[in-house]
Amino acid sequence: MPSRTCSHSPTGLGKSLPEQGLLLLVVLVLLEGSVLPLGAASSPDVSHQDDSHNHKVADHGVNATKKAFPVLDVDYHHIQTPFEISLWVLLASLMKLGFHLIPRLSSIVPESCLLIVVGLLVGGLIKLAGEQVPPVLDSRLFFLCLLPPIILDAGYFLPIRPFMENLGTILMFAVVGTVWNAFFVGGLLYAVCQIQPANPSSLHSIELLHCLLFGSIISAVDPVAVLAVFEEIHINELLHILVFGESLLNDAVTVVLYHLFVEYAGVGTVTVMDGFLGVISFLVVALGGVLVGAIYGILAAFTSRFTSHTRVIEPLFVFVYSYMAYLSAEMFHLSGIMALIACGAVMRPYVEANISHKSHTTIKYFLKMWSSVSETLIFIFLGVATVDGPHSWNWTFVTVTVILCLVARVIGVVGLTYIINKFRIVKLTTKDQFIVAYGGLRGAIAFSLGFLLDQNQFAHRKMFLTAIITVIFFTVFVQGMTIKPLVELLAVKKKQEAKRSINEEIHTQFLDHLLTGIEDICGHYGHHHWKDKLNRFNKKYVKKCLIAGERSKEPQLIAFYHKMEMKQAIELVESGGGVKLPSAVPSTVSMQNIQPKKPPPAKAVERALPQLPKGREEEIRKILRSNLQRTRQRLRSYNRHTLVADPYEDGFSDLLIKKQKMIELEKRIKEMNNYLTVPAAPPDSPTMCRARLASGRDTDFKPAQQQKGNKICPDPQAYSMKPVSDSVPIIQVDLASPQSPDSVNVMDEFRRANQEEDQGLMMKPHQGSSGSNKPGEADTTRDQQKLMRCLSDPGPSADEDEDEPFLP
Amino acid sequence: MGSSSSSMDNIPNAEELMQETGFSAAHLLRLYERFEFLDKDQTGELRPEDFGAVGGLALNPIGDRIISAFFSPGRETVDFPSFVRVLAHFRPNDTNRTRNGTQQEPVNSRTRKLKFAFQLYDQDRDGKISRAELLQVLRAMLGIQVTEEQLQSIAERAIQEADLDRDDAISFDEFRKSLEKVNIDHKMSIRFLK
Repeated sequence: MPSRTCSHSPTGLGKSLPEQGLLLLVVLVLLEGSVLPLGAASSPDVSHQDDSHNHKVADHGVNATKKAFPVLDVDYHHIQTPFEISLWVLLASLMKLGFHLIPRLSSIVPESCLLIVVGLLVGGLIKLAGEQVPPVLDSRLFFLCLLPPIILDAGYFLPIRPFMENLGTILMFAVVGTVWNAFFVGGLLYAVCQIQPANPSSLHSIELLHCLLFGSIISAVDPVAVLAVFEEIHINELLHILVFGESLLNDAVTVVLYHLFVEYAGVGTVTVMDGFLGVISFLVVALGGVLVGAIYGILAAFTSRFTSHTRVIEPLFVFVYSYMAYLSAEMFHLSGIMALIACGAVMRPYVEANISHKSHTTIKYFLKMWSSVSETLIFIFLGVATVDGPHSWNWTFVTVTVILCLVARVIGVVGLTYIINKFRIVKLTTKDQFIVAYGGLRGAIAFSLGFLLDQNQFAHRKMFLTAIITVIFFTVFVQGMTIKPLVELLAVKKKQEAKRSINEEIHTQFLDHLLTGIEDICGHYGHHHWKDKLNRFNKKYVKKCLIAGERSKEPQLIAFYHKMEMKQAIELVESGGGVKLPSAVPSTVSMQNIQPKKPPPAKAVERALPQLPKGREEEIRKILRSNLQRTRQRLRSYNRHTLVADPYEDGFSDLLIKKQKMIELEKRIKEMNNYLTVPAAPPDSPTMCRARLASGRDTDFKPAQQQKGNKICPDPQAYSMKPVSDSVPIIQVDLASPQSPDSVNVMDEFRRANQEEDQGLMMKPHQGSSGSNKPGEADTTRDQQKLMRCLSDPGPSADEDEDEPFLP
Repeated sequence: MGSSSSSMDNIPNAEELMQETGFSAAHLLRLYERFEFLDKDQTGELRPEDFGAVGGLALNPIGDRIISAFFSPGRETVDFPSFVRVLAHFRPNDTNRTRNGTQQEPVNSRTRKLKFAFQLYDQDRDGKISRAELLQVLRAMLGIQVTEEQLQSIAERAIQEADLDRDDAISFDEFRKSLEKVNIDHKMSIRFLK
């Protein structure tokens, strides 16, 4: 997922220090302002439900006597709940804004810590105002509203291949590790609580089962916290997927252990039979969750097959089906998290093949937005709930808990790695183990589970909650803050630039086939054999059912190639602005192919070229430079919750090369003096249509007939010049009008070749050098200005998760 | 393990093979049994038809290339040592094996694995993957659903990305460079052969 570190360049924000201070002040005032109505409103709401009811009744009673007609009336209770919710969401979003205005702070302290501090502040302010703090981290609210978006976001964009490759390791950590943690912490806590016979404290009354329950609550690694912290440290993919996958899959274990212990804590004993049932229950919970998720995922994929006429509601299906999967799983006490992950992962390849490009962007944006807000809210609420209490601080219990959690985690990871390494081809090193152990953060799930405990049944609930909060704070603050410098210190391998090249793709597929063949020769039904079988099954049956139209037969290499071409087209447009590019038709010949018989490829930079008139060259340079400037400005700030992984920060040299390439290209185009048409792809390929970003309403703009008219060049090397014809498929950028800032997509609509003034990207016949230069220039400047506004929102681009084919 | 030692005697030059390829005795035995299983007419050598009898290879797009990789150029049959030598490429890397200076690079090192894969592309053994060879592979892998132009454009792009010295073909070094991000040791290893 895109990273989250903040910008450091002052030019990026263009705000001076006093302006920043002012903004902060505004934010704080809003904070105050929001707190008071919250406090004022919530106390009557929370504690005295019937009060408001009485209030209303009293109102009606007063109606008997006539009073003056109220011209202006304030009725807060009418809108209270939605208003409060909106206020919280607004607060969360403003906080996010605020943090990124202070660049240095967010690079030292992870966002989660800051948010908890804000929550503490808000809670403190409410308390100071004398009102009762609203119980915001209500378990129902948390589990039903705040958690699902984050998990869905994670599941939908889960990188499937590393996940599957390391599934064994992840499961070991998740299942065995969590069980070990739970029993170790619970058992030792009980022992510690019993060891002070001299001064009997309240601790002695804790039962073993309660301790075990507490252990099981506290032992689960929390996906929200892991996501929040790991996003910022950019470690390599393997470690990321190990810790993250573990945090997702241990939900099943947590659910089972929690229910087991809650169930039997009342009774007081757990027999072997119960343990056995617990194991069975675990299997049911885990596999059941996955099954439920998969079913809903398939339903969603199937539904998306028919949405070609109602593109606008496509994203809705994705969200609703996923949410229903979660709720259904929760209904049966199965693992909702695993259901969500399964649903997202199963439906994604098919849904993406079916939906339009805009829906795809919408889904991405919405998921990121919701998960971002959710996460912020969760951390703020954690802070508020901490202030709220109820607390019962017990030094022994709390400190022992913290220490035991750390120790258990370390022992667990080391021990498990020793066993796991016997089965892995690529072993986990000590550094890896350290990061995995250190990355075991606890978070809001533990708190919510603790909150759910019944006070009557569990006398020490308050102490448990205090201890849970302490552990959460410790892990999030201490571990969260120090993990980044530690990663640097230990020189842990960082995330590689995930720009997959077409070569990698081809060769990996080739190697897959090779390995499958070798396995067949050896007579060994290994990893590749089954993967191959699954792929075949998928291609033969599943894809036909779930993917609409032509795309069901499209091999994934082609899909990947299309994506790459389109990305490159988008990138070139973004970086080059108004320079007249050849038509960027993705599924056909890429831009480099526009070359006469046998020159070196277009990437070469040094070549003798005919000199352009000096003025023109200057013009081009100026335009490109200013575009570059704007591109740089726009793309500076990024975090997980923006969608552009800022390809340019690392690849600035790439940008320069591209810029050069564009200049070369332009020069060569002028040289060539012709239309260069390109042979077209099979007509009905929806990829083509998507590639042209058909607008929402007129979905497939029938390239079929036109393209059939194109002749296919016999010699692919020589894209010989063809005369102009109306049937030439030309991509045009329909530039969004300057007044519409909400053109989310880069190229909003690609339309058919209308020979109008705003040509955008189009190949024009070159009517003599000077003749077209002047209108060209004017066009260029105007077009590229419009383009820049159009491009003001980085569209769907370098999210490397998308590059992964489904079953590679 | 009494029976195994007697079967081991059937394997010619077992010790040498074990040294050269790094397989253990148990593995070698297993591979020998497999070899005998494939060798239907008990000649002690495998022919292309024997390979053809293996189920999955017919469906494999590069099945014929794999088969021909076993046969050294010019030879019509595969004997057991050649069989084992080819399979030795796919042994997982042992990271803790000490390498004395005199020993040449082990068969299952990353470079050797890549070289093996490279030779599957480069059928005419000229040390380069030409455009035509790449096209052949793509055609085999992508089947009939793809048009000629798409194939051409993919091949074109692949070559342009990888071809650094601009000779319009991919040499072994360029091949290796384009795969530098892929974990070959992991990708080209069969755990069974460990």
